[in-house]
Amino acid sequence: MTSQAADARYVEIPAHTVREEPIVVAVDTDKGEVADTGVMVRAGATVSIVVAAGGTNAAATTSASLLRVIAEEGANVTITEVVGIGSSQQHLESVGVDADDDAHVEVRQYALGGGTVAFGTAVSLSGDRARANVGLRYFADGKDHLDVNHVVRQRGKNTIAHVRENGILDDAAEKALRATIDLVHGARGSKGDEAESVLVFGDDVVNKTVPVILCDEDDVQGNHGATIGTVGPEQMDYLADRGLSRKDAEALFVRALFEDAIINAPEAHAHDVAVRQAERVLGAEVAHDFDASVQLAEDEEA
Amino acid sequence: MTKERTQVADVDRSLYDFTKSEEGYERYADGLTPDIVRAISAKKDEPQWMLDLRLKALDEYHRRPMATNWGPSIAGLDLDHISTYVSPKTKQASSWDDVPADIKDTFERLGIPEAERESLAGVGAQYDSEIVYHNMREEVAKQGVVYTTIEDALHDPKWEPVVHEYFGTLIPMTDHKFAALHYAVWSGGSFVYVPAGVSLDYPLQSYFRLNAQGAGQFEHTLIIVEPGANLHFIEGCSAPKYYEANLHAGAVELFVKDGARLRYSTIENWSKNMYNLNTKRATVGADAKMEWVSGSFGSHVSYLYPTTILAGDRSSCEFTGITFSGATQDLDTGCKVILNGRDTTASVSTKSISKDGGINTFRSSVVVGRHADNARCTVSCQSLMLDNISRSDTIPAMDVRNPTASVGHEATIGRISDDTILYLMSRGCSEQEARTLVVNGFANPVSKELPMEYAVEMNNLIKLEMEGAIG
Repeated sequence: MTSQAADARYVEIPAHTVREEPIVVAVDTDKGEVADTGVMVRAGATVSIVVAAGGTNAAATTSASLLRVIAEEGANVTITEVVGIGSSQQHLESVGVDADDDAHVEVRQYALGGGTVAFGTAVSLSGDRARANVGLRYFADGKDHLDVNHVVRQRGKNTIAHVRENGILDDAAEKALRATIDLVHGARGSKGDEAESVLVFGDDVVNKTVPVILCDEDDVQGNHGATIGTVGPEQMDYLADRGLSRKDAEALFVRALFEDAIINAPEAHAHDVAVRQAERVLGAEVAHDFDASVQLAEDEEA
Repeated sequence: MTKERTQVADVDRSLYDFTKSEEGYERYADGLTPDIVRAISAKKDEPQWMLDLRLKALDEYHRRPMATNWGPSIAGLDLDHISTYVSPKTKQASSWDDVPADIKDTFERLGIPEAERESLAGVGAQYDSEIVYHNMREEVAKQGVVYTTIEDALHDPKWEPVVHEYFGTLIPMTDHKFAALHYAVWSGGSFVYVPAGVSLDYPLQSYFRLNAQGAGQFEHTLIIVEPGANLHFIEGCSAPKYYEANLHAGAVELFVKDGARLRYSTIENWSKNMYNLNTKRATVGADAKMEWVSGSFGSHVSYLYPTTILAGDRSSCEFTGITFSGATQDLDTGCKVILNGRDTTASVSTKSISKDGGINTFRSSVVVGRHADNARCTVSCQSLMLDNISRSDTIPAMDVRNPTASVGHEATIGRISDDTILYLMSRGCSEQEARTLVVNGFANPVSKELPMEYAVEMNNLIKLEMEGAIG
């Protein structure tokens, strides 16, 4: 089948090699770009993949990125997705991963706001002892819509999955999150857990959460949890003692989220998307503060 | 011998699985037509508004398609082969001596008269489509408490307007297809009115027994607890097992006014050919409290999600439930809570046990409205898998629209650890005893919320279900 994406590509990482430079998928949402990427990570190989989707234009566009990864036996795959788009734009962000025996998949996602963003992640732990960590940090404000669907299917024996979502919603943002741990028949000895923590700041926020565990095997452990609320009174008292108002405290949480995104952006495109969104939300001075601290850390490391 | 030591052997299986002849009973034709609906209404000599409501509901039922995207399959349910009205030829009695011998024997075996003597303020017993026994202690009646059938309330000029005001308002006929079905053919059930400030020391209990084969039971329970009043209502249900489908599509509407408290306890032990598509809903006023205690053990398929609307400020709700799903069972249970008032609190704690290929699905819905400032809600769901041919899913949904609300959810699924079984066996338990012990302990937070006789019944049901769990 021919891909519809203009820049579709296929990358193969040879067995037992370490690819030093990340595979970068940069999607300019201002241009409504669409990317379709397939990565075959052969046995024992290690690779980092970065998807950076961002734009600033007022023009309404639709963009998308589809990333498909096959991680063979013992492969190590790290996927970082940073998405921050204009308020009139919509972006569809999809990742599908199949992990064979002893493969390890790390998915780090940053949804940093913008019109409508749909994050779809499907991880199949097909092999025995395969592991997946999926972590999403999100921020949505204004009239942003964020729709997240995380699915981890644990098919092999003794597989382990951790799914964490952590976000902030402000103004009239709407978020729907479905997170599914599916312990398939035969996945004996597997453990899956999922947890979401949401801070709600805006009066008109709509937060929907549906954490699902499907369990068709007895010798497994499945857990999930969700906490939805605002800054707790104890935390507020602590911060008030230090001269911070509620607004100051909320701003601290937002700053921490963007700082994390900027610090952990593994290459220039992802970094630019995170900084641009930080500028929009927190102002240029704060955003470049983060940047300066990143630079300082890099200099020290050098 | 090990077998002699298991508590399972003590359970009398004939407790629920016995049938009585239907000879001489009035049984309407299978299927659902306007004539059948009119006949039910005429038999009850209802006011015109009730007949109109039934016929409107019938239209609604036919208009709505069968849901194809929800829960366990109900493809085995064919309404064309279900009789919606079966009645023993007897009048409602207020003394067990006046109840026909075979029906009396049924309820004796279920322990209802004994429970009435010992610990209940009043009892209603429904057999197939009609209430056959209803009685309430005199001292309770003197307090102004009304506990009767909806049919009798409709014939009382004092209560007919009250029924008219409340009936079908909390669960509208447009709620879903089986709510429409219910309103078209409802029969039996209870009407309870507790005046303001009255607190009942003992519970009221209604027991529903479906004896007829290939029949439906559609009782309607309407309870109004006035401001500051306090009531514990117990609902029990059972049926013998047949090889064709039976249907239960009851409706429970609970109005808990300001400062009132209502505890609604249910032990459901329908037979495993039953489709239990029941709807229960409560609305709770300011400073009032609603408590649900729910045990689901029977039926082939269940859709059961008691709903609480916390409408008043500072109202609260507790839901404690357990579902046990064994061979041939697919039980989709849970609850819904809608927090609309300020400073409302809700706590949901459920347990489920799956074995012998049984399927459990826990579903919950927590909705926090825009004006529910400082609403608090916690949901906890624990599922136990007893073998690797069973299945357990948890599907909780949370919809929060107030920034000052706090909602927490946690769920775990797992099995009894081998270490625990080994430890108990090293102290002289057989493997089956050890498992039964652990399962009883798992269910204990629910059973301790039940009246003693129901807790014993629930523990017996668990023992009964655990028989044959090993090997």
